Amino acid sequence: MNSRPLITVLLICLAVFSIVVTTTIGVAEISFMDVTRMFINKIAYFGQFIQEDWPSTWETIIFNMRLPRVVLGFIVGASLSIAGAAFQGLLRNPLADPYTIGVSSGAALGATVAIFLQNSYGLFLFGGVPFFAFLGAILALLFVYNLSKVGNNIPVVTLLLAGVVVSSFLSAVISLLMLSAGEHIRGIFFWLVGGLSLKTWSHVLMVLPYVIIGSSVIFYWSRDLNVILLGEEAASNLGIEVNRVKKIILVAASLITGAVVSVSGMIGFVGLIIPHAVRMIVGPDHRILIPTSALVGGIYLIWVDSAARTLMAPIEMPVGIITAFLGAPFFIYLLRTKRKDFRF
Amino acid sequence: MTVNLKVHNLTFCYQSVPVLEGINVEIKKGDFVGIIGPNGSGKSTLIKNINALLKPVDGAVFLDDENILKMSRQSIARSMAVVPQDTSVGFDFTSYEIVMMGRVPHLQRFQKEGPQDEKIVREAMEVTNSWELKDRSITELSGGERQRVIMARALAQEPQIILLDEPTAFLDISYQTEIFDLIKTLNQGKNMTVIAVLHDLNLASQYCDYLILLKAGKIFKIGTPAGVMTVENIQEVYGTKVIISEHPINGTPYLSLLPKRSSGLKNLSPKKIHIIGGGGSANSLIKLLYSLGHHISLGVLNNGDTDSETARNLGLKVVEELPFSPVSEEKHRENLKVIKGCDLVVLANVPFGRGNVKNLEASQYAVEQGIPVVIYDGVEISRRDFTGGEAAKIFQGIKEKGAREVSLEKELLEVLENL
Repeated sequence: MNSRPLITVLLICLAVFSIVVTTTIGVAEISFMDVTRMFINKIAYFGQFIQEDWPSTWETIIFNMRLPRVVLGFIVGASLSIAGAAFQGLLRNPLADPYTIGVSSGAALGATVAIFLQNSYGLFLFGGVPFFAFLGAILALLFVYNLSKVGNNIPVVTLLLAGVVVSSFLSAVISLLMLSAGEHIRGIFFWLVGGLSLKTWSHVLMVLPYVIIGSSVIFYWSRDLNVILLGEEAASNLGIEVNRVKKIILVAASLITGAVVSVSGMIGFVGLIIPHAVRMIVGPDHRILIPTSALVGGIYLIWVDSAARTLMAPIEMPVGIITAFLGAPFFIYLLRTKRKDFRF
Repeated sequence: MTVNLKVHNLTFCYQSVPVLEGINVEIKKGDFVGIIGPNGSGKSTLIKNINALLKPVDGAVFLDDENILKMSRQSIARSMAVVPQDTSVGFDFTSYEIVMMGRVPHLQRFQKEGPQDEKIVREAMEVTNSWELKDRSITELSGGERQRVIMARALAQEPQIILLDEPTAFLDISYQTEIFDLIKTLNQGKNMTVIAVLHDLNLASQYCDYLILLKAGKIFKIGTPAGVMTVENIQEVYGTKVIISEHPINGTPYLSLLPKRSSGLKNLSPKKIHIIGGGGSANSLIKLLYSLGHHISLGVLNNGDTDSETARNLGLKVVEELPFSPVSEEKHRENLKVIKGCDLVVLANVPFGRGNVKNLEASQYAVEQGIPVVIYDGVEISRRDFTGGEAAKIFQGIKEKGAREVSLEKELLEVLENL
């Protein structure tokens, strides 16, 4: 119990360190020391101790090209992990994550519809792409939730089946829309496969409000989430307004997922692996699990994204491919080893 | 004492099928109330209506005069705790964390658990004998240990009322008594109201002050265990014949199940059999012949005799003499009249003294009347003759006139078949 604050401090240090290090990775060779000095130079007061002896193009590369990508990667990883932890807790189901239960697909469809309408008809839509992604996410969630519900339980089998069915259906609709999109098809496609390339500060600013609101709501209700792990009836008997809490958290998690999917496309398995791994270390208490998962998820994704940019350089892989490569075996491992917990 | 909980004219429907109808109960503070009834009679549904997990179609539940549906879940949880039947938890919280969750209804959001909460949790765990489990994960505890932890969680809620839904259904009997003794202690020591759904009628009778017997969603009978657990009520509600005796120590009603009576075994029509026994000598004989479906009568037995009790519990015909009195002429004649209508008389391994030697004469009468007499599994008459030879003489006479000595159950059944 006493090691928890220590873990948090360590993770924050690791996060800062990772952001700086991953920012140095790229075609233009800029050293770690230079990047560190550039960062410190940006901080008020400390700036006066640093001599600006680097070309100004470096600053453009670091602060306008690489840093927004890394920061966005961190936000996406953190958000997916928070959403995953919330879904797993709420559905009392260790295999739930935005991707496996079809929420990401819903968000993708919502975003596709928005992009399609904007590009083809020049319509300006209220709330923009993230809002439509959120609508899609929440509709998909409601559908999957009701489809997989057996009595008061959500068994793993029906949840995964419903998730697969809904995802496939939604993908078909997305493909159909892409066919009708004509010359705009490339834009939708590149966004859909999931990647963080060519992201700017405007993307960060677009998702940040949704992510902050959604995460705060989930963190605010995290003790209720703990009690809900005991079962909905037990939680009611311990004074939790289960139905209300459930709605609030599902909406918040969908909000986060929608926002993230609308900028980075479908990045799978992050929301599954991270909360799981973190739970093994800090235990199931959401008050610790959620912030820790956010940090670990953010760190994880910026490193995976760095791998995506460098492994096959100069070709950049979509980060979703690597998360799937790492995540799918982990998913299978969970399925095999923890079978007895899944109430088959 | 004041009324703590009032169920007023409660009706609950599940998909328009009534599950509970017109339930009226008042439970006083400190009562230990058991809800009994067959499967599907609405026991658990009643509990769930009482703690507002289900919403009645009609009527209401009042907790200290406040309609429970108008209360927030948090304030309900401050006065009522529930111990469910199945307590498995899927995520590995430690036992201590689980019990600490009992404090949730008393905490404000973001309020951290303080020393006061820690003290209450520790007390709750010590009372339930689960303090040594505090660092163990709830997923690796045995059923009994887990149930104790869940009991501790309920206590940490500091409730006025504790609801139990078959709390020991999955536990060994040693845990059953442990849990119930604990509940009783809390009930008496802290004046905590206890409402328990119970499957085991003997546990119910042993621990509860009052029982609510439900039948098909209605209250069939409500009252003390002695008033509710009668042969007639149980027969009517459960459709089973039982024997109600007294618990050997508590004196509460104690229920025993009866073997099912077969009707018409192997085309054998039921016979009228008169058994002469006493002092428990005929006990196994009664049970054997009863379970085969025969019509049995006994006599003459003293009131209060073990065989007489058994017979009466089974609803058999008994010619009874006053306790500890010798068989009177009057009862003897009554006995002879019963014997006259019988197909067979069975003489159990009963000792004979001055008081009951008349029963031996009754057997003699049977032989003379041409009714077959069987002497079943008897030790030598000289060893159980306390009349100074008189009984032995009559006994000898009976044997000479054709009474058959039989010592095995199999042989007795052969005799019955050949009647």
